[in-house]
Amino acid sequence: MDISAPKRLLDKVCGFAEKLEPFREMLLANLVMVSEIPSPTFAESKRIEFIKQRFTECGLQNCSTDGIGNGLGFLSGSNSQKTILLTAHCDTPFSINEEHTCRVDAGKIHGPGVADNSLGLATLTTLPTILERLDICLKNDLLFIAAVNSLDHGNLGGIRFFLSNYHKTISHCIGIEGAPLGRLQFRSMASLGGMISCNVNRKVSEQSAVEVINQVITRLQAIKLSDDTHTDLVLGAVQGGASYKIPARNSFLKFQLRSNIDDSIQKTVKKIDTILNDIEQQAGVTVSLDVIARSKAGGLEATHPFVEMTRQVMTNLEIVPSDTIYSSTISAYVEQNLPAICIGISNGENINYPDEYIEIDPITKGLAQLIGVLLVIDGELCA
Amino acid sequence: MLNINNWLQSNTCHHSQFRDLLRLVKEKERQGITISLCIPTLNEEATIGKEVVLFKSELQDRYPLLDEIAVVDSGSTDRTREVAASFGADVYLASNILADMGFKRGKGENLWKAIYQLTGDIIVYVDADIKNIHPRFVYGLVAPLIYRSEVKYVKAFYDRPLTLSNKIRPSGGGRVTEILVRPLFSLFFPELTAIIQPLSGEYAVRREVLEKLPFPVGYGVETSHLIDVYSSFGLEAFAQTDMDQRVHRHQTTRDLGKMSFGILRTFLKRLKMKGMSSDLPDFTANLRQFQAHDEQYEQVIHEIFEEERPPMIELEAYRKRFDKKI
Repeated sequence: MDISAPKRLLDKVCGFAEKLEPFREMLLANLVMVSEIPSPTFAESKRIEFIKQRFTECGLQNCSTDGIGNGLGFLSGSNSQKTILLTAHCDTPFSINEEHTCRVDAGKIHGPGVADNSLGLATLTTLPTILERLDICLKNDLLFIAAVNSLDHGNLGGIRFFLSNYHKTISHCIGIEGAPLGRLQFRSMASLGGMISCNVNRKVSEQSAVEVINQVITRLQAIKLSDDTHTDLVLGAVQGGASYKIPARNSFLKFQLRSNIDDSIQKTVKKIDTILNDIEQQAGVTVSLDVIARSKAGGLEATHPFVEMTRQVMTNLEIVPSDTIYSSTISAYVEQNLPAICIGISNGENINYPDEYIEIDPITKGLAQLIGVLLVIDGELCA
Repeated sequence: MLNINNWLQSNTCHHSQFRDLLRLVKEKERQGITISLCIPTLNEEATIGKEVVLFKSELQDRYPLLDEIAVVDSGSTDRTREVAASFGADVYLASNILADMGFKRGKGENLWKAIYQLTGDIIVYVDADIKNIHPRFVYGLVAPLIYRSEVKYVKAFYDRPLTLSNKIRPSGGGRVTEILVRPLFSLFFPELTAIIQPLSGEYAVRREVLEKLPFPVGYGVETSHLIDVYSSFGLEAFAQTDMDQRVHRHQTTRDLGKMSFGILRTFLKRLKMKGMSSDLPDFTANLRQFQAHDEQYEQVIHEIFEEERPPMIELEAYRKRFDKKI
């Protein structure tokens, strides 16, 4: 290969952000329309319908939904030998009944889910038009997937289903998230998301389930976690009781365990089981652990050409790659031994809260980065 | 009198009937029609950006249905004009349009001046305070005009069933419509009761009709349009489109009182002009409302003038600009 080819390609990427300005409104319109269709996990069909319609309108082939409900579209390359997979998850943590209207001001778009992951989906649905109008014709095929059932109990069900049932060769996978710009994740930690439920039988005990969940939390925090394997316990959410004046009958704790090593998760789960068994010895108290989601440790090394070239594309666009290299979304690809990265398109704040917003200005740079990564893959610089 | 039920069957549409935008654009182009969108504004920075982004991207760039997207502003003191311009709308200050005609504050003024400033054969008006704005708010109004040459004026209404059942449910407009306007129409213009939301701020009209309408500059503009178009062309000139749901800010009862006062003045003026009620006195411009401080009650007087602009066709400047004759 011509050794100056990578440099020429990377230089070309520098000018992209400017070329993408005319597509800003199109992307923002897609973002608003996607965002205003409620799409809680397991109820994404209306949003998928819209995305599928967009895929059809911009000329993708085989626009369809698969057996689990993922929205798919296909763009043939000029020399179809490999397929690059582009995915964005379609679900949000907001219920159908919550207010989903967005607000657009001069510099930001506000609304639940705009960053996670309406911007990712808007990028997915606008990209085919951008490639066509900029006359960018790739050698490789592109497969666009709006994935369902990703968050919480969804446990990456949509993308896992697709990868288990797709039998053609996929060369590279790119997960698109709305935020933050600079995100470059290529490894998955082993993790277990769980929910501990406490129930107190009122016929036997007057104890509050809040006290019981408090005992659970105290015992969980006392577990010695290995620094060597970067094992960590995140206490994510608690819930319980019905009123301030009645002892709670139920309580719940959601948590995540994560580690560099799968084995470390299994050992810690055994310790948690022991703790729950101890606590359940109290009269009238039932405690149980439900697994919400699991992920497997693995992924690319930092020196892998896919990661290195992506980092160079980002640097050329003056995007500073973040230090956080782990994302549970990578796990689905790790299970199938597929090289995958996850990147962000713009800056966002208050993610997963109703006052979530994204910044408009960095979007073109985020898009340029994505096109740059596609070009370096297509130029066979990421193998 | 037309059979209202027949009219409701034939001239009431749902926006989803017009979802095929490619077909709509082709038909528009075949007929050589041009379409302008006018968004009248006064301090709407919270919602204007989204409207412009959606309409420009979906109805100009993706499907070229709109030839022009214009914001006609009454003098906002927030960033309405800046935000609208930043997303590519043509932004006008109402006071700068036909400047020698002066400037009167009110939404009707902006709508009237838009007839002069914008160039489309059809003008579609969409309020700027719609939180759940969507391209359907434009194509749902424009499509009946494109597909049916006898239709001259298309009005939006909003009716989303809360449950999916076959039971009969009440359907209609807001408080001012149901308490004031529909009772008045029932008394004096019964056919106009078929218009489900006579006060909705979203409508599309052919230029040849708009230019012949006088424009109250304030609250009475929608009511006067209905009466005047009905008087000239009958109910068959109207169509209405269901847009499902409109999320917007709610007004206080006190503000609705002012609105009702303006509408009533416009309405009574038309009754007088048409000789339908000849012995009405001259109308005061004073609306009297009350407020209380502890045990003390005091009257608050609001002066609400319902001035009217003449039909645009009567202006020489307009006739010259569009090469028209009376």
